[in-house]
Amino acid sequence: MKIGIVGKGGSGKTTTAGILARRLARTGHSVLALDCDANPNLGIALGLGVDETERLAAIRQSLEEEGAEHAPTVSEMLQRFGAQAPDAIRLAVVTKIDTPNPG
Amino acid sequence: MRLAFIGKGGSGKSTVSGTVARILARDRGPVLALDVDPLPGLAFSLGLGHIPEAGLPEDLAERREGSGWVLKAEVSAEDLVERYGIAGPDGIRFLQLGKMPHKVRPGSTVAFRHVIESFHRPGWSVVGDLSAGTRQAFAGWASFATRLAIVAEPSAAGLLTARRLRRMAEIMPNVGLGLILNKLDGAGSPDVIAAELGMPLWGVVPYDDEVARSERQGLAPIDAAPDSAAVRAIERLVRRMGEAGQ
Repeated sequence: MKIGIVGKGGSGKTTTAGILARRLARTGHSVLALDCDANPNLGIALGLGVDETERLAAIRQSLEEEGAEHAPTVSEMLQRFGAQAPDAIRLAVVTKIDTPNPG
Repeated sequence: MRLAFIGKGGSGKSTVSGTVARILARDRGPVLALDVDPLPGLAFSLGLGHIPEAGLPEDLAERREGSGWVLKAEVSAEDLVERYGIAGPDGIRFLQLGKMPHKVRPGSTVAFRHVIESFHRPGWSVVGDLSAGTRQAFAGWASFATRLAIVAEPSAAGLLTARRLRRMAEIMPNVGLGLILNKLDGAGSPDVIAAELGMPLWGVVPYDDEVARSERQGLAPIDAAPDSAAVRAIERLVRRMGEAGQ
């Protein structure tokens, strides 16, 4: 099962995704949670805490700034840009995090 | 006053910026209100009642060798606002530039940023509601502003987003940056939160059921709930900002 959650800002996408992931994980599913938001906060909703959520974002951002290398395979990507969340969920921040462009 | 609003989706950017625009229009004279969010919503909080077609025609932009997308020479920003700005309550002029009604030539909307940057009419204020979150929060659209307000809810995700936005705003050192804490429910001290984020606190707006109800109905809080605690708080913050200078 692969579920994508979309919606307007503030509609509760992240909260819904977090609860859904935890619920699935507790009912016997192996869950991979992907944060595809340029402002990644899913870690907070999953119960990972603010500091770890921000650490993951920083690792992902360092890829853009060429401080990190891209992962050649999916499992390496999950290793490099992911963290272990409660209920054995694996969380990874996968989208590009925007930096401001003065245009 | 030239003021841009940024913040997380759902932080209340549009609600606060729309109400600020109305108050400025009542207190200080004409206001150009801009919605540059690709998912527009400012029209409701301004009191327009619906989301109108309020863009600029794309054929006003042309690509010039060496300077990229620019506005055609024969039109001025002031003319364009006069001609295409939708008239709103309290004499507001409204433009919606984030969501383009049809397919446009890639990059051509850059020309419209120049419209906003070069719009200067004596006595007018400009208020911009920028795109939600940290995605292209700036992308040039804040370049018209002399002040940038980060609107944040006091949730963990809300404050984390505010911190990210403050870091991103460091590329605009000449813009005055401030924090508006919105939907406060009594927990937590606004001054402590602002100090932790390293930003001046421009205002605190309480959570307000009357404002939430007006949003469900698509009405401007200043029309549907003029005496609500939240609208009163926004009035106070606008006056304080006015006293703090242009």
